[in-house]
Amino acid sequence: MSKTKEESTAKKTVRGRTSGQFRCLNCFERLTPPPGAKIFTCPNCGYAWRLSWFGPGEPRIRGPVWDVNEAQTQKSMAEKGGN
Amino acid sequence: MALSRKIAYIDLTNRRVRTAPIPLEMRRRYLGGRGLDMYLLYNHVKPGADPLGPDNVALVSAGLLTGTLASASARVHIAGKSPLTGLVGSANMGGFFGPEMRLAGFDHLVITGKADGPVYLWIHDGEIEIRDASHLWGHDAHQTQTLVRDELGDDDIQVMTIGVAGENLVRFACVMTSLKNAAGRTGMGALFGSKNLKAIAARGRMDIKIAFPEEALDYNKEIITQVTSAKVSKTMQKLGTLFIWGTTNSTGLVRVRNFQSNQIPHADDIEPESIEEEMIGTAGCFGCQVHCRGRYFIKKGPYTGAYVEGPEYTSLGAFGAEVGCTTKQTVLVGNHLVNTYGLDTLETGSMIAWAMELFEKGILTTKDTDGLDLRFGNDEAVIEAVHQIAQRRGIGDILAEGPLKAAEKIGKDAIKYLIHVKGMSNLHSDERPTPALALNIATASRGSDHLRSRPAIDLYHLPEKVLRKIFGNPVPYDGPLTSDYRDYEGKPWEVLWQEMCYETVDCLGICKYHTVFLGPNMPNFSEWPKLIYLNTGLEFTPKDLWDIADRAYTMERLFNLREGLTKEMDWLPDRYFDEKTDRGLPVVRGKSIDRDKFRKMVDEYYKLHEWDENGQPTEKKLKALGLENEPTHKL
Amino acid sequence: MSKILVIDPEKCTGCRLCEQVCSVKHERVVNPYRARIKVVKWEMEGKILPVVCQQCEDAPCAAACPGHAIARNPETGALEVNYTLCIGCRTCMNVCPFGAMGFDWVENRVIKCDLCGGDPQCARFCETGAILYVDKSELSSLKQKKGAESLMDLMTKVTAAITQAG
Repeated sequence: MSKTKEESTAKKTVRGRTSGQFRCLNCFERLTPPPGAKIFTCPNCGYAWRLSWFGPGEPRIRGPVWDVNEAQTQKSMAEKGGN
Repeated sequence: MALSRKIAYIDLTNRRVRTAPIPLEMRRRYLGGRGLDMYLLYNHVKPGADPLGPDNVALVSAGLLTGTLASASARVHIAGKSPLTGLVGSANMGGFFGPEMRLAGFDHLVITGKADGPVYLWIHDGEIEIRDASHLWGHDAHQTQTLVRDELGDDDIQVMTIGVAGENLVRFACVMTSLKNAAGRTGMGALFGSKNLKAIAARGRMDIKIAFPEEALDYNKEIITQVTSAKVSKTMQKLGTLFIWGTTNSTGLVRVRNFQSNQIPHADDIEPESIEEEMIGTAGCFGCQVHCRGRYFIKKGPYTGAYVEGPEYTSLGAFGAEVGCTTKQTVLVGNHLVNTYGLDTLETGSMIAWAMELFEKGILTTKDTDGLDLRFGNDEAVIEAVHQIAQRRGIGDILAEGPLKAAEKIGKDAIKYLIHVKGMSNLHSDERPTPALALNIATASRGSDHLRSRPAIDLYHLPEKVLRKIFGNPVPYDGPLTSDYRDYEGKPWEVLWQEMCYETVDCLGICKYHTVFLGPNMPNFSEWPKLIYLNTGLEFTPKDLWDIADRAYTMERLFNLREGLTKEMDWLPDRYFDEKTDRGLPVVRGKSIDRDKFRKMVDEYYKLHEWDENGQPTEKKLKALGLENEPTHKL
Repeated sequence: MSKILVIDPEKCTGCRLCEQVCSVKHERVVNPYRARIKVVKWEMEGKILPVVCQQCEDAPCAAACPGHAIARNPETGALEVNYTLCIGCRTCMNVCPFGAMGFDWVENRVIKCDLCGGDPQCARFCETGAILYVDKSELSSLKQKKGAESLMDLMTKVTAAITQAG
């Protein structure tokens, strides 16, 4: 009914938003953990993250699984050093 | 109408008040808020003035859109020559004071001279009174607000005030309003204290006319949805600004034990989610749907039962990572103390962390600290140090002087361990792996600063296409832009773009969480012209706003150069170049800043600004901005 | 269908956006003191309570009005002031138990919430859910759900404590 008016930038932005995902801080992959998961290991790089849910279906990284990620990093630094 | 608000010249020495209209021409050149304040700063402060002497000027202002239907338009700006750095002093805060000052009829206050005893200002419906404040002197920032409301018999009064730290001229004292809103940085509280100005109270019932009310309502709704649908906002609604810790500490981008590491592992107790367990909810500033202010009661210790707001992300460094503490109780109590004393939490924590490293290195001993055991991780010592700074007792009296003056007093190698730029301490962030952020703190106009030009979204690994869209508007940019935050290339433009973006919101009186700071798809130059037009009827293009921001930022640069800024001061502490990061993810581990590449970045940044190789704006640039004849004393 | 404003003070963040948009809608200006809603705060104690007309069934304002100037709008269910009948005595202000009847000194008349003719701006803008505009038929379940949620919260905590102790 309304005339074809150009959509405002504000409205366009809202349409483009995604949810349910977080990005791995190590490899930047977008990951979709199962709802409510407390720990999720990145299938791409093997780094493990402790998650919290700030809204229904909205995960975020609370912190690393310290020992797992530190071991991963030691390994990858050693490999790099060996090159 | 918003544009009918006046400027008031308040001479505290002679106790005289004069008011004048603000010419539209000045609005078109500076909008208001920080922009117009920078004009006033350059024009009203005598060159070389002592920041704590009567020749300094305290400027208080509302932004062009403060109080209007522009989401989160709560900000009030305070400026003067900084008692901390001797350069631009400038800080703004939310809460409710800014809109109330506008409702009371004023947009700008120019406060000069020094009162012969404690005073406060009472601004109401177009009038300003200078009132005795002897009975308020010595009271903390929370008590003072209640006392003023009681005295004037009105709970709707909004008060900005200094605490004991400002009275004691702690060089990083701030001005506070509500529970936790602070014009925190550059020591504006000490500036108030030096003028015997304890507080400013405002209550007004004058209409702020909206140019196109129905359309402004609809557009405000759109803007709010744009902001609150973003993941960062939803996270902040629950965790406040603490949420940032999840990314920074997990990656390895925080500074620990002053500057000895870049990640604090296993500190689960101070994680945002752990602190959130203490919160009873969050509070919002005027008209804001992000409501990022945490609310909690202290449950243990001597402050049990105190109602507190916060803590902010900054306090996680001040009472956590930087001082090597990992218990939330210290963060919660430390936050309460800086809010009541009126201290900049960031500078306070940084000064204590620095003193702790000096203690560790033996430059300070228990002899210097009257027995205070300034070991990293000593929670009690950290809290005691806050008291000592605010009350200027013991070692606190030296730390209260701020980084450079304290380093001079302590002598030895103390200065080597300072994490500062231009005499202002850095946030608890470690920029060694992130050249863009390093350039931001090195060049920001008020010293090491994350709110002047930080391209925080550089950390998000955004595709180049997205970066081009954001950073290519409203001024075309076809140089390099890369998704990798470890790169040096293309970053100077990001820093410059953010400078213009933050300057504009500070001129408008809008909170930075409602623009491109922590989220990439937030309102910016594309949205602001419509927002301004619907609220005020003034027409600007995106490029007009950019030019205004450029003009205001250049005024800051001119002021800094006049007060002694040199090219050497647009630089980082040696440790950024000489020591490598020891922790964090592989992308950030073993990193330091490369001197030569960084030099090139600074040069490039100057060039993009059209400043010469010494960082001086060129004659051509000044002419283009119409600044070749400053000071022009039009206001 | 009849809708009503429901206030949940626990969800209010005290931002006063409701006051702001209310004054713009009705008076075309930002002036919280001319709004039909007010967020009353005991700021230093952290207490917040939005105050607005409850559109009472047996409204004291309407009953006490000597000019019979306050009547219900059949379409929106809002009690509205008919200014041609209003004599400006402010009796309604005195009798309202909520302090929800205001006075606009600019137009020199009492003011109250009229539900913006069926699209109350306060509820439109309040994203926290502190102000909702809901059908009266939903009222019970809304409150029941809230009560159940807090009970469930408590039960979860108790269960967790028992599990931990055991």
